[in-house]
Amino acid sequence: MAQQANIGELLSMLDSPLLSVRDDVTAVFKENLSSDRGPMLVNTLVDYYLETNSQPVLHILTTLQEPHDKHLLDKMNECMGRAASRLPALSLLGHVIRLQPPWKHKLSQAPLLPSLLKCLKMDTDVIVLTTGVLVLITMLPMIPQSGKQHLHDFFDIFGRLSSWCLKKPGHVTEIYLVHLHASVYALFHRLYGMYPCNFVSFLRSHYSMKENLDTFEEVVRPMMEHVRIHPELVTGSKDHELDPRRWKRLETHDVVIECAKISLDPAEASYEDGDSVSPQVSARFPHRAADVAASPYVDTQNSCGSATSTPYSSSRLMLLNMPGQPPQTLSPPATRLLTEPPQAALWSPSTVCGMTTPPTSPGNVPPELSHPYSKVFGTTGGKGTPLGTPATSPPPAPLCHSDDYVPISLRPATATPPKKEEKTDSARPCLHRQHHLPNDRGLEELPGSKGSVTLSDLPGFLGDLASEEDSIEKAKEEAAISKELSEITTAETEPLVPRGGFDSPFYQDNLPGCPRKNHSATSGAQGASVNPEPLNSSLDKLGPDTPKQAFTPIDPPCGGTAESPAGHRERQTSLETSILTPSPCKIPPQRGVGFGSGQPPPYDHLFEVALPKTAHHFVSKKTKELLKKAKGNAEEDYPPSTSPAEVLDRLVQQGADAHSKELSKLSLPSKSVDWTHFGGSPPSDEIRALRNQLLLLHNQLLYERFKRQQHALRNRRLLRKAVKAAALEEHNAAMKDQLKLQEKDIQIWKVSVQKEQARCSWLREQRDAMVAQLHSQIRQLQHDREEFYNQSQELQTKLEDCRNMIAELRLELKKANSKVCHTELLLSQVSQKLSNSESVQQQMEFLNRQLLVLGEVNELYLEQLQSKHSDTTKEVEMMKAACRKELEKNRSHVLQQNQRLDTSQKRILELESHLAKKDHLLLEQKKYLEDVKVQARGQLQAAESRYEAQKRITQVFELEILDLYGRLEKDGLLKKLEEEKAEAAEAAEERLACCKDGCPDSVTGHNEESSGYNGETKPPRPGGGSASRGGGGGSGGGELSTPEKPPSQRAGLFSSRWETAMGGSATSIPTTVGSLPSSKSFLGMKARELFRNKSESQCDEDGVTISSLSETLKTELGRDPGAEAKTPLNPDGPHPSPPNLDSVGQLHIMDYNETHHEHSEG
Amino acid sequence: MTEDSQRNFRSVYYEKVGFRGVEEKKSLEILLKDDRLDIEKLCTFSQRFPLPSMYRALVWKVLLGILPPHHESHAQVMMYRKEQYCDVLHALEVVRFVSDATPQVEVYLRMYQLESGKLPRSPSFPLEPEDEVFLAIAKAVEEMVEDSVDCYWIIRSFVNQLNNKYRESLPQLPKAFEQYLNLEDSRLLSHLKTCSALSRLPYDLWFKRCFAGCLPESSLQRVWDKVVSGSCKILVFVAVEILLTFKIKVMALNSAEKITKFLENIPQDSSDAIVSKAIDLWHKHCGTPVHSA
Repeated sequence: MAQQANIGELLSMLDSPLLSVRDDVTAVFKENLSSDRGPMLVNTLVDYYLETNSQPVLHILTTLQEPHDKHLLDKMNECMGRAASRLPALSLLGHVIRLQPPWKHKLSQAPLLPSLLKCLKMDTDVIVLTTGVLVLITMLPMIPQSGKQHLHDFFDIFGRLSSWCLKKPGHVTEIYLVHLHASVYALFHRLYGMYPCNFVSFLRSHYSMKENLDTFEEVVRPMMEHVRIHPELVTGSKDHELDPRRWKRLETHDVVIECAKISLDPAEASYEDGDSVSPQVSARFPHRAADVAASPYVDTQNSCGSATSTPYSSSRLMLLNMPGQPPQTLSPPATRLLTEPPQAALWSPSTVCGMTTPPTSPGNVPPELSHPYSKVFGTTGGKGTPLGTPATSPPPAPLCHSDDYVPISLRPATATPPKKEEKTDSARPCLHRQHHLPNDRGLEELPGSKGSVTLSDLPGFLGDLASEEDSIEKAKEEAAISKELSEITTAETEPLVPRGGFDSPFYQDNLPGCPRKNHSATSGAQGASVNPEPLNSSLDKLGPDTPKQAFTPIDPPCGGTAESPAGHRERQTSLETSILTPSPCKIPPQRGVGFGSGQPPPYDHLFEVALPKTAHHFVSKKTKELLKKAKGNAEEDYPPSTSPAEVLDRLVQQGADAHSKELSKLSLPSKSVDWTHFGGSPPSDEIRALRNQLLLLHNQLLYERFKRQQHALRNRRLLRKAVKAAALEEHNAAMKDQLKLQEKDIQIWKVSVQKEQARCSWLREQRDAMVAQLHSQIRQLQHDREEFYNQSQELQTKLEDCRNMIAELRLELKKANSKVCHTELLLSQVSQKLSNSESVQQQMEFLNRQLLVLGEVNELYLEQLQSKHSDTTKEVEMMKAACRKELEKNRSHVLQQNQRLDTSQKRILELESHLAKKDHLLLEQKKYLEDVKVQARGQLQAAESRYEAQKRITQVFELEILDLYGRLEKDGLLKKLEEEKAEAAEAAEERLACCKDGCPDSVTGHNEESSGYNGETKPPRPGGGSASRGGGGGSGGGELSTPEKPPSQRAGLFSSRWETAMGGSATSIPTTVGSLPSSKSFLGMKARELFRNKSESQCDEDGVTISSLSETLKTELGRDPGAEAKTPLNPDGPHPSPPNLDSVGQLHIMDYNETHHEHSEG
Repeated sequence: MTEDSQRNFRSVYYEKVGFRGVEEKKSLEILLKDDRLDIEKLCTFSQRFPLPSMYRALVWKVLLGILPPHHESHAQVMMYRKEQYCDVLHALEVVRFVSDATPQVEVYLRMYQLESGKLPRSPSFPLEPEDEVFLAIAKAVEEMVEDSVDCYWIIRSFVNQLNNKYRESLPQLPKAFEQYLNLEDSRLLSHLKTCSALSRLPYDLWFKRCFAGCLPESSLQRVWDKVVSGSCKILVFVAVEILLTFKIKVMALNSAEKITKFLENIPQDSSDAIVSKAIDLWHKHCGTPVHSA
């Protein structure tokens, strides 16, 4: 609450008269807004504004930042809903929108827009409608994309309002309808400009209905007369023009200009694009080029006359001090035009106009200038005028007249395009006239000014004058101004005719004058190309000046109004200062007071915000129009299609005129009192109507201002382009200069090259001459040389000859020498020979003597020899022969020896081979021997086995025999015991017989004993051997035999004894024994012998046989391995005793050895 | 060796196709043609191949040392052998150990006894077990060899070889038999063991008599070829093979006596196959003897 109260206080403080307080409070609010995001403050502000219409609050509201926009819009939407606050809300919206806040794109989404549309569709209050329509029109270029959704709403609104204009529903005052009509007209333009296809289709559908036909005829059709065919109708489509991409490229002012472009209404239309201008330029240019020679002055005026207004202080100084000079300063543009005509043409109309003229320039254009072509002149014409108009009232009057005049002169020209040039020509003079008028006046007014002031300086001059006037009249009362105005307006018709007459002579006068001046200044520089150097210099001089001029388009009027002509630097003060300064802007309020009859003027703030001068201008013009209207000018026959804007204009003008008339009747100081004094309190409804009108006007004005701002924006951009172009131009000029310089250089170089060439050719000639001379010299020298050469050759041949001669001579000399030598040699030889022959002769003599002596000796010896010779020769011969023979003998001997050697060697070889063979043989023999050995061993083994078998057999036999013996002895013992007693006598007899043969018997007994011993010892040996071999069985056999030995021996002894004793019984046994072995085998023989041996114990003779048997056994044993084949033949013959004894001895030894061996083995 | 190259080049393939003994005769003839016979080669040959019956006696005699390796001395040595035989026979006749009525086998025995010095005092003395072995072998050889001298000498040498050369290895054979039987058929062995017949198998008949009297002579010859040529291990395999052949019957029998009895009187008809298999088995286990020379 405290805050609320605080806000309330602050709000009340906002309207405080103190500036500082206001600023502080505004700052506080802004701070609050930036910190607080809530909607409350904004709401409060809006409420307050709606309540009080406070300007600072409006200012705050219009500059709201981003987060608050929503609140503001919501609040306004809310206000819009209420009928009471609708109008202020709309006006607030208008204010806000016109400033183009950064959040303007949000408008399309805001609920405010539909409610606005709804309001426009529903509301019946004309003021609200007009205001709303204007707001809508202003808003449309900002939100072109949103057209899609609301397009039909727009169209519906248009349809409704257009019908309103005609039908006038309710009791709407006519005067409001004019406003409404104007706004509808603007809406028409906007819609047609932005959405041509859709709009046309809407029109087609809407006005095809019968009930709307009247509206179309009355309202829409006249509007359509003021527009061209939109190019989009041809190229575009309904969808395309709603395409956001199309709108993205365009800024708000672009859209506005776009819309203005299609307008034919001079108040609305604008031509600035190159394409729309170019035809004029191209059409005008040749004419101008042709014209230049005649009137360069005009061209300068056209091209940059207005532009050069800025440096007016200096130029004026120049003008004032040395009036003869200006042509020089002017010449550069002229020359520039000559050199660069297209650029100048591009520059001249629109750009220059845009730069110099304030945005309200169309307002200056008289309504008669509806023709598109005349617009150019309108603008060009206007450019100069505003400078003069603001302060000085005189200029506008002629302007108006000139305007009036121009259309009259032009109108016929519009029909035929070829006359365009003429028209421009005629228009241009018109312009000049216009400028000259004030000029003349100025000249007239300025008594100090001598001679002629150039046209180019005119605007500046004028502005200067105006400012001077302004500064002078600043202090004067507004009443005086209005008075003056009225005077002028009343008097304006008068100079109309005289001007026309005065115009042409001036023009004609001026035309010849200008070239003259030009001529004098440029000293006959008709063809700039003839002497470019001065041109260049002038260009260089003026180069920096031109941009300066270009940069200050709007300043001159400002400066002119605001400050004294002290310096152009001071003119660059800000607009605000100019706004704040008490300037002519004060005038309209006063007038407004007059209008508003003391009421607080509702459009007061308007003038403060707007450029004072333009507003004033506008108002003054309106008043003029109104005046005219009020006068009911007969000459003003309106064209059939008067645009609603013009109608409105006229209305305003008429109103103003009426007002001024009223005012003029009154004394100025008591103006405020007038109303009361005049007619008491004015009727309330009139006041309301007037106020509403004012409001409408205000709205209109604001809309127009918005448009102006857009134009200004555009202009700034164009200016940038212009500056750029100027810079480029400068650059081009510089380049051209450079080019020229370079060309000059090139020329210089060419000249120098020529010189050099000439010199070169001269040098070449010289050189050629030299060369020729030298050649001739060379030739001569060569000739000389050849001569010399020939001479030398001749000399050489001579020399050769001489040499040859010398050589010949030398040869001859040599020959002679050799001859001499030869002869000398011969001589010496001869002398030697001579001496030799002499010595030989001497020797010969000596030899002869010796010969003689020897011959004598020889004779002597011959004699001696003859006596001895015969003997010695024989001997020698003999000896020789002997020697020869001996030699031969020796030789043959040697030969023999050699042969022998050979043979012996051969023999040795043979023997060696033999030896090898023998060795081989030996080896073979050895092998064979081995073989044989092996063979023999095999056989031997067989034989041994056989022998073994034999031994076994004998063993078996012996065993058998022993067995038999054993049995026999047993039997014999029994028999003996029986026979002992019976045969005792026989035994005695036998003993006697035994004694007879005792000796030999004993011997044989001994013999037998030994042999028996031997035979007994023998069997056990092999038995033992076999026992050792055979094992247990064998040993058992051996044991069996050994214990039997002693008994058998004994038995043998006994048996020998006993057998002899009982021979009869024994004889039977030997027979059986003897019959047993077959006589054919050795065993059989042995057995027989054995048995015989046994039987010999009875007979004596047997002893010998036994011994012999044993002998044979022994011998056989010894001989057995050697010869077996003989053994069967052996045993027959009884052998003599000595070998027997020997063999016994041998046996003994063998036996001993064997037993011994056995023992050692055992 | 040069004669080897004259052999039929197809000889290598005969065996592969299954014709056995086609080339053996020829190669044996080649071997026998050598003067100074190569005992080693003959041994190898007879171990590898069955001997042709016409050369068997000769080869045996050579291998057993009855005949020397030289052909020259064959006649003489043979004469010696014959004389020895006659002498021994005569001696036995003299000592009245043999008579014309005495069976030839017994004559051989007596002769052997005489030669080895083991002749009993009387023919009526009971025979020793080794004499029984001799008799069995002699009976078998008598069937094989016609000539009585040859017969006696072969018997004699054969027995001598058994007694001398194989004296060490013969007692080992039952163990080897067990081992190989285990390898071939362990079930059978375990069966024998369970029947406790293993120790009571007719080892005497098999190893001491070398199957004499067990197998028919025609088959026996082939076994003895190997024995003569120096390998007594063949006996083991023959025994194993006998068991394998009659496995079903043996398995059916449960008592050791029955088994022994059965084995002592095995059927004669399959003996040839048994021997062939046994030789294969022997080759398999002991490898084919390769001529070392």
